Amino acid sequence: MIDIEKLHKSFGKNEVLKGIDLHIAEKEVVAIIGPSGSGKSTLLRCMNYLERPTSGVISVDGITLTGEANINKVREEVGMVFQRFNLFPHMTVLRNIMLAPMKVRHVAEAEAEQTARKLLARVGLAEKADAYPHQLSGGQQQRVAIARALAMKPKVMLFDEPTSALDPEMVGEVLDVMRQLAEEGMTMVVVTHEMGFAREVSDRVLFVDDGQILEQGKPEEVFEHPKEERTKSFLSKVL
Amino acid sequence: MHFNWDLVINSFPLLLVGAGVTVKITAMSVALGVIIGMFVGIARICHVKPLRFLAAVYVDFFRGTPLLVQIFLVYFALPVITGQRVDPYVAAVGACGINSGAYVAEIFRAGIQSIDEGQMEAGRSLGMTWVQTMRYIIIPQAFKRVIPPLGNEFIALLKDSSLVSVIGFEELTRRGQLIIAKTYGSLEIWMSVAIIYLVMTLTISRFVAYLEWRFKTDDRH
Repeated sequence: MIDIEKLHKSFGKNEVLKGIDLHIAEKEVVAIIGPSGSGKSTLLRCMNYLERPTSGVISVDGITLTGEANINKVREEVGMVFQRFNLFPHMTVLRNIMLAPMKVRHVAEAEAEQTARKLLARVGLAEKADAYPHQLSGGQQQRVAIARALAMKPKVMLFDEPTSALDPEMVGEVLDVMRQLAEEGMTMVVVTHEMGFAREVSDRVLFVDDGQILEQGKPEEVFEHPKEERTKSFLSKVL
Repeated sequence: MHFNWDLVINSFPLLLVGAGVTVKITAMSVALGVIIGMFVGIARICHVKPLRFLAAVYVDFFRGTPLLVQIFLVYFALPVITGQRVDPYVAAVGACGINSGAYVAEIFRAGIQSIDEGQMEAGRSLGMTWVQTMRYIIIPQAFKRVIPPLGNEFIALLKDSSLVSVIGFEELTRRGQLIIAKTYGSLEIWMSVAIIYLVMTLTISRFVAYLEWRFKTDDRH
């Protein structure tokens, strides 16, 4: 579903990604863990070209990302959920979800609304359709953001630390929605500090440090028997 | 000192006609300025370098030269090039609107840049183009934030419109001058003119305050 070859990314002189090769299969759930500043968010953001790679090749669903020409086509297929939700504050929850399908996919308004209401029910917020984002709690906002991304019927969902900006008691409700999504067979890439979620839900865990994938494998392998010293010391701090 | 109240009362209808003209050219200039300003403001931050450059030149030129000189340029200098007389009305609205456009462009640019980057990222990540994201997400939010500075700009423009009196355009200030030429009532007429301007600017500022209050509701994060 996603193929990444020799991905490098620098911000000025600072090389953040130092040659990443990664293949993500359809329906695979991949958790990316690692210390702050390791480049894991940048790696994720390269997957839909919110960050332009300095060099390397990224393909999504067989389409090689080259720039403005096909970037929107790919982004239609790749949903993204942000750490700080980024809901549109001037629109109701319903409108937040309906906007992109109507403007990008040219879905009729009635159909867009129907889909939006279904998705809201799915994330447990059917009664919040007419609320504005600021009237919702962080956890509710993030669930709306997930519904908004799903409204485009993406083939892949990217999650950029989706629970890091939440109060602890709201983390669970967002993870539940993500867990359900994984069970339904969505291809997911999740940058996260939630080790419990990475361990239980993901098919594969990547440990990224200093711009490289230092170690990867099944969650039980990485968490129970880490091979690299860096992975061991990281896990000993967060577990 | 003698204050001639009769002169004030008798001149008032004529001054009000002038005030009506002032309101009219201000409104037209504001409309022109907002349209120009919106496009120039967006051009200032778009990805197309030549557009960005042209927009910057526009803002620099019209902010960096006096409106009075710009009025002269449009009314007296332009006909030298084109060989055609410029209608004073067109010259007045044109000069004021183009000038205001430069200020409004900066207001819009600042307003757009004040919107969280995550909004653009969210829009783009959903497959919307830059233009769509601007149109449906960024600009509607920026609009609320630019209401107060736009209000200031409109008040400034209403006052600056008095400058078009120099090309003989009979707005409020020019009317006052004409009445004084006949009656020598400088004190009465200039006082009256000042008060009429004040009433108009206060009205705008109250209206802007109302708009601000009206749009405040759903913009908190």
